[in-house]
Order: sequence, then C-alpha cells, then structure tokens
Amino acid sequence: MSPAVLVALAAPAHADPMPGFVHTKSQMRDFDCERLAQRDGADRYPGRIVASESRAADPDRVVVVCTERLLRTGLRSPRDEAVLGGLAPTADGIAASAAAADPALAERTWLVEVYYPGGEVSGKLGFAVKNALMSEGLSVSDRAPALGADDVAILTRLAPLEAYPAACRRYAATGTLGADDVLVGVVALDPRETVLHAGVCVDGGWTWLR
Amino acid sequence: MPTRPLPALRLGILLLAAAGGCHVHTYQPMTGLHRPVVVDPQAPNLAGLNLTVLCVPRELLNVQDASALCQKVGTLFENQGAVVTTTVGGAPEVGEAGEVAPPPDLTVELRARQVHQAGHPLSWAATIASFSLVPAIEEFTFEQEIVVRDGSGFLLATDALRGRIVHYYGFGAWASNSLLDLTVREEADDIVGDGAERQLSADLYRQLSQAVFNAKMQAQVLRAGAQR
Repeated sequence: MSPAVLVALAAPAHADPMPGFVHTKSQMRDFDCERLAQRDGADRYPGRIVASESRAADPDRVVVVCTERLLRTGLRSPRDEAVLGGLAPTADGIAASAAAADPALAERTWLVEVYYPGGEVSGKLGFAVKNALMSEGLSVSDRAPALGADDVAILTRLAPLEAYPAACRRYAATGTLGADDVLVGVVALDPRETVLHAGVCVDGGWTWLR
Repeated sequence: MPTRPLPALRLGILLLAAAGGCHVHTYQPMTGLHRPVVVDPQAPNLAGLNLTVLCVPRELLNVQDASALCQKVGTLFENQGAVVTTTVGGAPEVGEAGEVAPPPDLTVELRARQVHQAGHPLSWAATIASFSLVPAIEEFTFEQEIVVRDGSGFLLATDALRGRIVHYYGFGAWASNSLLDLTVREEADDIVGDGAERQLSADLYRQLSQAVFNAKMQAQVLRAGAQR
C-alpha cells in the first residue's frame, strides 16, 4: 500500500468540526453534533447519509451528524441565545401544559402575554407559544390585555412570584380579561435563568404551570 | 566490520520511540456542554441552599473518580453559597448519633457513561510504518447525566451532556500542532497541552451551575403554586 493511501486513511475528514488543521476551537463551538446509527442517520437525512444494504456491512456503524448554529456564538446575549435555542420545545411544553390544565377551558379564547426583557425575543416567544396553542386545537387571539399606569407601578414593586398573580386579579377586576378569556403568561423570573416559566390566568386566579 | 543502521532508519526508530510520549488530545462538546450559560459560577447564586451532590460510580467513573468529582462539584457549589453534602454511590447520610440527615433542598445526581469508542487499527499500522509521522487515532464519546430533585424527590431538571475526545498518537501530530500553536493559532485555540481537560472541566462546571440554578428557581415556582 503506497504511503499516499496510508495518509489519506489516517487523515480526518475536513467536514469533522473537531479542532485541528481546519477548524479552530472557537469555530467548533458553533456546531451541535449527535452520534447516530448509520441506518437512523439515513432515515433522518435521506440522500445525505446512505446506509449500505450489503450483508457484509457493519450493522453497528455510526455516523456523527453536526449542525452549524444559525448565528455565530457571541452575536446575541447568552440568555437570548439559550432561550431562543430551545424555543420550539419550550413553546410546545407550555402549550401542552396549558391545554392540559383544565379541559373545560378548551372553548375559551386564549391570549398570550410574554414578560421577558427585549422586544424582539418577546415577539418570537409570543408567536411561538400562540402557534403551539393553535396546534393544540385552541382558539387563540392576538389581543393583548392591558393595565393602567397605577396598577403597573404597584405591580412592579412586588416580588416576582407575587406580581403575576396580582396582575391576574387586576386583569379580571378591570375587565381586560373577560369570562370567555384565558391568559397564558410566559415569564422570565430571574435574569440568571435560561429557562422560562409559565402560568394561566383564569377568572382572576393565577396557576403556575412550570 | 560491524554494520550500523542507516541514518534514516536510526532517525525513524528515534521518532517511533519519541511517539510514546508524543500525543495530542482534542475535546469537542457535542450536545449541551457548549450551551450558553448566564449564571456566574463565582457569584453567590445558591446562598443558603442545602444541597446534596450524589456521584454514582458507573462505567466511566470508578469509586475514586466519583469521589474526586463529588469533591470538585461540591466546592463549585460551596463557592456559590450553598451548604453542600457529597455522597458517593447513594448511601444515606448518617449523623454521629446514628440518625439519618434531614432531606436537602436540592439533590444533584451525577452519572457518566461511555457512549462510543473507536480505534483505527490501520492508523496504528500507518504510525509504525511511517515512524510516527502519521498519527494513530483513538476516540471516545462520553455522556454526563445530571438529575436535580427537590427535597421530596420530585424531578426538577434533567440533562445529558455529550462530548467527544480524540487522541492522536505520534511525533507527527505533536510536532505539526506544536508548530501551528506557536505560529498561527491564537492562545485560546492552542491544542497541545492540557487545554482540552481545562475546557471540558470549565464547560461541565458552567453547565452544572446553570442547571442547578434553574432547578432552584423551578422549585420556588412549584412551592409558590402549592401555597396558593
């Protein structure tokens, strides 16, 4: 066997994001990778991963599938990156919990309010949760409940775990949320967290879902 | 007249002998280990929290390794203000008078396992044939499982962090990477040395800090819900 073939066999493929001659450690951290059985990889990525049908093929052969992140690390704040990185499972989880909270609420109109610093991320969160609620078969409205300036001034002085139940009572007392409405609140309680909490406001009563 | 090995052969044997001490290992976070972290592991994020760290010896961790891991993780959480008890293998804490310790606020369970291991036999043949200029390659993928429960055993958080370690054995890999570290790469991107271990430790401790803080907040929300 010629030396050239030996080198080719020993050299890692350039597509492997492992740091080395091609990729730096910084570039490597922009990839999320998972190890799959080759057959599972062929099912999930048809045409890009081909599983050999030969009887002599190793059935335990695995592939490493790497996906590059949409945005380079550092372009968004770590908190925004963490929240948006798990947007789909978070939204689906909140919607599933809300839908299961009380089957009697299924006929009501569902509203979504996001309490998260940053308008762009809040908008994305609200949109994702509304879509997820609609996927649960619920009727969703874009209407946003509102409170007066005096109420807001008082609520902002309360501890976070007290503020949202108090806001729910005020929504009902002021008529912003009617008897046919349900509000799902998506809450960021602490700036050091990377997960979101959620609750439902029904008839002036707040229930934490997660 | 005694024959002496050719100079090239002498050099090759020298390289092969040096290969025993020349290897480069690289670390790649695959899932979870390089997730963005917000909490500062040096800040008192867990002030007053009564925490138990349970390290389960299994596959990758023997009893000594699990004990060492528990001590390091315990120190990590103590630096953040928690009161930490460490346990290896799940034995209940027993006090001096023989009573069982009260349940902690949070319990952190740590388990590690090897997901995949691969060696490349042809690469070893190539290494020997090339007098270690071509590296021999071995790799393994590990998974660090984190489970956080509250004092009653209710599951608050669970996570599985996966990473990959690749070892390159041989003078060629060591020399080429050393040259690149000296000439081209930024210091943070250097490969030769113990950078891989330090990066893996840093990633693991950051993710542990974030997971436990998230679980602490989750427990507060659940308590608030139960009180209403």
